[in-house]
Amino acid sequence: MFAEREGGAGGLGGGAGGAGAQPPTGAARMGSSEEDKGLVAKSLAGDRDAFGVLVERYAQQARRVARAVLGDPDDADDAAQDGFLSALVKLAQYDTRRPFGPWLMRIVANAATDRRRRRNVRQAEPLDPALVGGGPRPDAVAIRNELGARLQTALGELSERRRMAVVLFDVEGYSHAEIAGILGIPEGTVRSEVFHARRRLRTLLADWKEQAR
Amino acid sequence: MKDTQPFDHRPDPELGAALRAALEPKDDQKAFVARVMAQYERALDRSTVPTLDVLASWFRPGIAAAVAALIVGFLFGRTVLTPAPASIEAAMAPLEGPGLAALVTAQDPPDASVVFASLVDQR
Repeated sequence: MFAEREGGAGGLGGGAGGAGAQPPTGAARMGSSEEDKGLVAKSLAGDRDAFGVLVERYAQQARRVARAVLGDPDDADDAAQDGFLSALVKLAQYDTRRPFGPWLMRIVANAATDRRRRRNVRQAEPLDPALVGGGPRPDAVAIRNELGARLQTALGELSERRRMAVVLFDVEGYSHAEIAGILGIPEGTVRSEVFHARRRLRTLLADWKEQAR
Repeated sequence: MKDTQPFDHRPDPELGAALRAALEPKDDQKAFVARVMAQYERALDRSTVPTLDVLASWFRPGIAAAVAALIVGFLFGRTVLTPAPASIEAAMAPLEGPGLAALVTAQDPPDASVVFASLVDQR
């Protein structure tokens, strides 16, 4: 279970970003953080639309983080939903001096971990041998799907903490300090986890590029 | 892909994009948001049942239980807690002769023959 601690600067984290979107940085994240606080205040006052905006804003990020833990997209969506509803229940406990994103992601990560423990979900589906090599040259979509499958398999081979660290850092754009807050581990450990995860995933990416040529 | 550096402070855009593509939900986000909001509405409905309605739903059973408890308590008190009245005269009255009265009112411990005689008298 991840800690009940929060990290530093805010993190909208590209809630509705597409596949190629970059992690948000600097001022955009801080501005969004201020908006988040307003939406949280309205949600606490019973404004359903405000909570809906928060859900829209963080839906994709929450689903990706949950999927990084669970592997299975349906389970991940269930966990993300649990996370949002749990956050709603705990909204009065949210410290508005701190950024909303890491607080929410911590709850979503906990919900995903709980679900994984309860259902003993496998981390990733084994790769179809037909996809690994040989066969006709696939089109662009199939290539992307193949890479995605490989990355998911590789992610599944990492420890949950390492997987979460690299996804929160390289995909969602959180700082090491924020991830330390979300995962409840020292910042140095986060750096180490990100480094080891990257080394594994970069090797896989490089191999895949070599094969794709 | 950029060179791997231990403890790199900067996100890796290429790896990040690849991971994002791998983890990105394939379906429409709107469906997920609608699903969460539907759960939100249900949770809200459950948590806002008026208190008076709850109290009203318990009114009749509560009254019946209170009446039943009163009746049971009254009967219990009357039959168990109140001892049967008995006068000292009735207890002391000899059936025949002075045997029992002499035994109870004596200052000194009774002699065994007196006790025996009293028992014989009562028969």
